[in-house]
Amino acid sequence: MKAAQQIPRNALAWIILCQVLLLAPHGLRVPAWLLLLYLAAFGWRVQLYRNRLPAPTRWLKLVLIGAAMAGIGWSYGSLIGLEPTVALLLAAYALKLVESVSRKDAYVLIFLGFFLLITEFLFSQDLLIVVYASFVAWLLTAALVALHRTGEGFELAPLRVAGVMLAQAFPLMLVLFFLFPRIGPLWNVPIRAHAAQTGMSDFLRPGDVARLTQSTEVAFRARFAGEVPQARDLYWRGLVMSVLEDDTWRSLRFFEAPPAQRRPAPVEAVGAVLDYSVIIEPTQQHWLYALRYAEPQESGVMALADYTLYSPATLESERRYSVRSWPGAAIGLELDTWRRRLETRLPEGENPRALALARQLRAAADDDEAFIARVLALFREQPFRYTLQPPLLGDDPVDDFLFGTRAGFCEHYANAFAVLMRAAGVPARIVAGYQGGEINPMNGTVIVHQFDAHAWNEVWLEGQGWMRVDPTAAVSPARVEFGLETAVQGEGSFLAGSPLSPLRYRAVSWVNTLRLRYDALTYRWQSWVVGFDSERQVELLGKWFGRIDAKRFVAVLLGSFGVVLAAVALALLVRAGPRRDPLLRAWARLRARLVRAGVPVHAGDSPATVLARAQQRYPAAAADLGVLAEEFTALLYRPVGSGDLRRLQQRLRRLRLSSQ
Amino acid sequence: MWFLAEGAGLPALREHLRARFQRWLVRRIPPARSVTLDQRRIFIFPSRVGFFFFACLLVMLVAAINYENNMSYALTFLLATLFVIAVLHSYANLSGLTLRALRAGEGFPRQLVPFSIGLACATRRGHHALWLGFEDDPEAVAVSVMPERGATVTLYREAGERGPFRPGRLRVESRYPLGLLRCWTWVDLDLVGLAYPRPLPYPEPLGSGAGQPRGRPARRPGEDEFFGLRDYRAGDRLRQVYWKGLARGQTLQSKQYAAGAASLDWLDWDAFPGIARERRLSFLCQQCLDLHRRGRRFGLRLPGNQLAAGAGDGQRDRVLRALGNFAPPPEAER
Repeated sequence: MKAAQQIPRNALAWIILCQVLLLAPHGLRVPAWLLLLYLAAFGWRVQLYRNRLPAPTRWLKLVLIGAAMAGIGWSYGSLIGLEPTVALLLAAYALKLVESVSRKDAYVLIFLGFFLLITEFLFSQDLLIVVYASFVAWLLTAALVALHRTGEGFELAPLRVAGVMLAQAFPLMLVLFFLFPRIGPLWNVPIRAHAAQTGMSDFLRPGDVARLTQSTEVAFRARFAGEVPQARDLYWRGLVMSVLEDDTWRSLRFFEAPPAQRRPAPVEAVGAVLDYSVIIEPTQQHWLYALRYAEPQESGVMALADYTLYSPATLESERRYSVRSWPGAAIGLELDTWRRRLETRLPEGENPRALALARQLRAAADDDEAFIARVLALFREQPFRYTLQPPLLGDDPVDDFLFGTRAGFCEHYANAFAVLMRAAGVPARIVAGYQGGEINPMNGTVIVHQFDAHAWNEVWLEGQGWMRVDPTAAVSPARVEFGLETAVQGEGSFLAGSPLSPLRYRAVSWVNTLRLRYDALTYRWQSWVVGFDSERQVELLGKWFGRIDAKRFVAVLLGSFGVVLAAVALALLVRAGPRRDPLLRAWARLRARLVRAGVPVHAGDSPATVLARAQQRYPAAAADLGVLAEEFTALLYRPVGSGDLRRLQQRLRRLRLSSQ
Repeated sequence: MWFLAEGAGLPALREHLRARFQRWLVRRIPPARSVTLDQRRIFIFPSRVGFFFFACLLVMLVAAINYENNMSYALTFLLATLFVIAVLHSYANLSGLTLRALRAGEGFPRQLVPFSIGLACATRRGHHALWLGFEDDPEAVAVSVMPERGATVTLYREAGERGPFRPGRLRVESRYPLGLLRCWTWVDLDLVGLAYPRPLPYPEPLGSGAGQPRGRPARRPGEDEFFGLRDYRAGDRLRQVYWKGLARGQTLQSKQYAAGAASLDWLDWDAFPGIARERRLSFLCQQCLDLHRRGRRFGLRLPGNQLAAGAGDGQRDRVLRALGNFAPPPEAER
């Protein structure tokens, strides 16, 4: 059927609005010139509509597409990966708008819009983003409706129709969402190669952790099955760094270890048990954080030789994992020669004063434990300062730090401590992770922010294995007891770069309550919706339906669809049936009343005839009946106002049919 | 089997299926002057855009699976279920629509003849973006029927050869609200249009008094006697307008000419003996048009039918209708 081929103006307005809203969240991610391209495309489209500019010719289109691709390749360095792909989609979306004339193009624009919403979800599934995306999806559906309406002027009806339809589809969507089997990826997909990695890296240079502490972002949230341990005991181990090269600590690569050393040595799990689950924000990296000694409770999480947890898949979106920890268990009781050599190795010829000091202190101490206590006492007694703004260090950073500046952040202390230990032949290494966390009273989760990033040490002692030592605690006990904010209170450097973060206004009660409520909501959202995976699915469906088999699956699916569709059909077809004319309704009621009162009424009688008969039967009411007959006859043949009806109703109420 | 028989190729199969479909359609939606659409009469199927949408959904689902992204799953499922919900909405948009045959048009062969169809809405929702057209006619007219308000649609169909003709079934189609589904019906409103004979130049009629009034020389219209002036009416010919009066500042007036009461003419079937029926009717048709143009009074004599004399547009239409509908008794066919 040949339709009017042009996009109706209303629909075009909706589409352009959607396009702006779709671009907005991507705006910060794409190169700035892409935004200019959009502006140009909108301008051209409007001028095209007003016949001020011609439609682009075929070769111009080709040139524009080529230019956009070249621009994206130039901006990102490649066309492969999620970000360039999204940028390419956005560029195509902008150019498509210019050449869109027919309805067919409008469909492409709208469906592409839905696809762009999905790309937005690949970057973030935050609650606010999802609310925003739902709104845009509503507008896109409204645009689709507007495309099929024939009205000329601007109207909001498409919004209403789209809203009703989406609301009706929503329960069915939930059914599919929970029932659809979560299968793994079908093939490898372009990853977010261009996204910045967040959180810890597997290198640790002085200043790295301090930089992290400027971030107010959440690193992960943990929920304990039982009581939450004290903040000072929450040492979330992420990475263990055993190699010191070029003033940089790094973790041991998997293949650098001899094959026998690649798996964790068995640990005798004794003492108190902590069960908890963690939802970690996307980091684009692989390590997971847990309290020691941690055993992962699910597949897809590996335990490494240094008792850290590792995800073989890059953490591109929120990830939930369950862990069981035994804080009292000793780890690494046996130290093999290869590892002893690795964990005591120091670069040649650096930090001579520190090395001399270490040897001297060790010689004065009875054993390794006494030596450790002596070094910590040194940190405590000498005028060491804990600061987020440490001075720069020279070529021998540990010497400079220990004998010069004496001001630093946790990684300075951990670095100096590890170097001192190794210099005395005590196996030592740095652990990077987070320390502490904020307990949300709304739901009992522990929120760990990036500014909780911390570095501490592990020292190997005969008969005790790897022991945790936190030299920062010796310098600034407040850091471990109360967190960073208290520790650097005097300095005013806490979150100096984020003046608007609600975290800075924790003292303002309602801001804090609001923030914690939202965080609790985010946790629920992440654990139930975003983190809904095959394991959760099996758990949930098992709880709801007992046994999970195909027959039940299909029955639930068909049953729920049947119920919802029947309800919608009822609303659409039955309730919205013909609306009866109030005048005819009034007449039908009076007619029924007359029939009950014994007035003979035949099919096809007019109101005047029936009322005349009623007058004969009830002479006492003859006058009233006469007026009614006149009124009905008049109203049947002229437009009825609301006043007319009111008057008629009053008259009907006053009518008394008595035999005498 | 029948379709494997000699000579029965694909076209034959298609023809056979078409015929079967037509018979089925007649049984399912029989001709009626007024039809209210319900589930017996409404067909629904995804449109081409619907299939395209479905393909898009598959791509989105693959993206959701590969990125294991729950919100992508949610959006994909929301759109998929929207599609399902749209089936009901598309159906509801046509359901309850009442179509009524209002007027079937008349015209000369190969002329476009208007057919008027009344649309009435009995629901509170209204019927949006309906496309009406006759079968195998690519032209369609869009109309929306608002609640408790009707609409009238006029469709044009080319008239065939002389005689009554049916414009064919009416196709009522809508893709509202999302364009993903095509919801349509074929109704037969029992509309019968009429094609007049094709006017043909006629030879001098035989015998008494047909084409020319007896005893008077033929006159050209302009030579009729001046009768008087009256106020201009829309449709008066320009040469009739009394321009001089207008120039003098009077209202616009037309000059009236008396056609002469005596100039009664008869269009007579028997005036053209030995000529084939359709040709004869064509001659009569042309005669009728000529006489009407000259403003004469005329009547019509056909075998088994006689129209009293009259003048003006009404008389012309009556005569043309009689000619168009003419179906002679067998003995007149000579």
